[in-house]
Amino acid sequence: MVKKIALSVKNLNLWYGSNHALIDIDMDVYEKKVTALIGPSGCGKSTLIRCFNRMNDVVDNCKVKGAINWKDKNIYGKGVDVIEVRKQIGMIFQKPNPFPKSIYDNVAYGPRLQGVRGKKKLDAIVHKSIKDAALWDEVHDRFSDSAMSLSGGQQQRLCIARTLAIEPEIILMDEPTSALDPISTSKIEDLVFELKKKYTVIIVTHNMQQAARVSDHTGFMYLGEMIEYDRTQKIFERPKKRLTEKYISGRFG
Amino acid sequence: MGERFEQEFEELKTMVLDMGKLSTEMLDKSVRSLKNNDMELADWVISKKGEIARMDDDIETRALRLLTLYQPVATDMRTIACCLKLNTYLARVGRYGKDIACVTKALKGKKHVSKLVSLPYMAKLVTDMLNDALYSFEHFDVSKMEDFSERDDDVDHLRWSIFRECLSYMMEEPKYIKQCANYIMVARYLERCGDNACKMNEKIHYMVTGVRVEVDKDYTAECCEDGGEPCQNKQEQ
Repeated sequence: MVKKIALSVKNLNLWYGSNHALIDIDMDVYEKKVTALIGPSGCGKSTLIRCFNRMNDVVDNCKVKGAINWKDKNIYGKGVDVIEVRKQIGMIFQKPNPFPKSIYDNVAYGPRLQGVRGKKKLDAIVHKSIKDAALWDEVHDRFSDSAMSLSGGQQQRLCIARTLAIEPEIILMDEPTSALDPISTSKIEDLVFELKKKYTVIIVTHNMQQAARVSDHTGFMYLGEMIEYDRTQKIFERPKKRLTEKYISGRFG
Repeated sequence: MGERFEQEFEELKTMVLDMGKLSTEMLDKSVRSLKNNDMELADWVISKKGEIARMDDDIETRALRLLTLYQPVATDMRTIACCLKLNTYLARVGRYGKDIACVTKALKGKKHVSKLVSLPYMAKLVTDMLNDALYSFEHFDVSKMEDFSERDDDVDHLRWSIFRECLSYMMEEPKYIKQCANYIMVARYLERCGDNACKMNEKIHYMVTGVRVEVDKDYTAECCEDGGEPCQNKQEQ
């Protein structure tokens, strides 16, 4: 079966001032698959994932060269609507960051910003997003409660529901479970598995077993370079590069 | 992985090598006990049955512990998976050694039908295969196992040649039936040990290269088609 490419990274380089943080990155991210980025701290995986929806634009002294092609255009090209890019390529962060509002309002926030009006329409979006984020059973009878009253794992799934409400194509997750307990982690992992039926997911994780469990493709990064990028089974069973083997076996990093 | 993992991992490999040495020694000594009518040696082999079973359990426990505690990947994972299979194959080899020693005991005091040459030669081929597999495991080097398919063919052909030789003796002289039936059984045990060495080869190959291979699949396919009939007989038909 031919895999469709969702994002294509071509010769991407990024500098924070004089620090060359990403070096000649080339990779294709496949549609409706989970791609994991692994590597030791400071290797550039979070920088790379932030490139996918141009979040590095807000960093001072950040310079990007190369291309990330999405829907036949370079998202770093001239005339690209960054707001549209970030709408279509949503991000979930390491620490759950719900707004200090009700559960309902958190999910309805994005659609309201986009001009969706009418309770019926908003209800439909909120209900669907919360169901898709596997949170319905736990919150359907308390939508008006504060989002801050939820547990860490529930808050993270609420953030996922908030992202889903604006119907993105690609979901970026930057260590989405590192602040969660094992049960919440397992729920998020199950959710990622479900999400890939509809969305392309890119996940940064420090947890090697998590990358092995949830992803279809894995990229190992080191000192700003993509050392090896392949099918996850291959990376964890038979990596080509000695450095990858040493890292995933826990012998450095 | 930390030092504790490295230490336990190395210990696991040593445990497999120790088990391999003992199983191979049991097989070798069992055939020598048969050849020389040596009841003492046969008793020694039989006495090691419990030790083999204990080693089998210890390796399994250690391997499962490493998998659970450290969730190894890549070469570490392949090596532990290999250890978990090798202990089973080696336990079988050890048990066949014990079974052959029991044959020695059953034939106590009986003179051999003729000079026992083929069975010890077959045992030599099989123990060489086992030793080469253990060498490959220890040194992470598959070069000594490249010709296992041909070597296993030699073992299989010897088994059928012993079978035919014994059949002739039994037809000639019915008083040899008990002894010859036992020789046929021993040849069968040795042939199975050769198969186990081939299975070890497959697992060690995967451990070293990450690639799965099948040793002697033609033989397996042909025998399966014939419901277990010897391949050579099939070719002769």
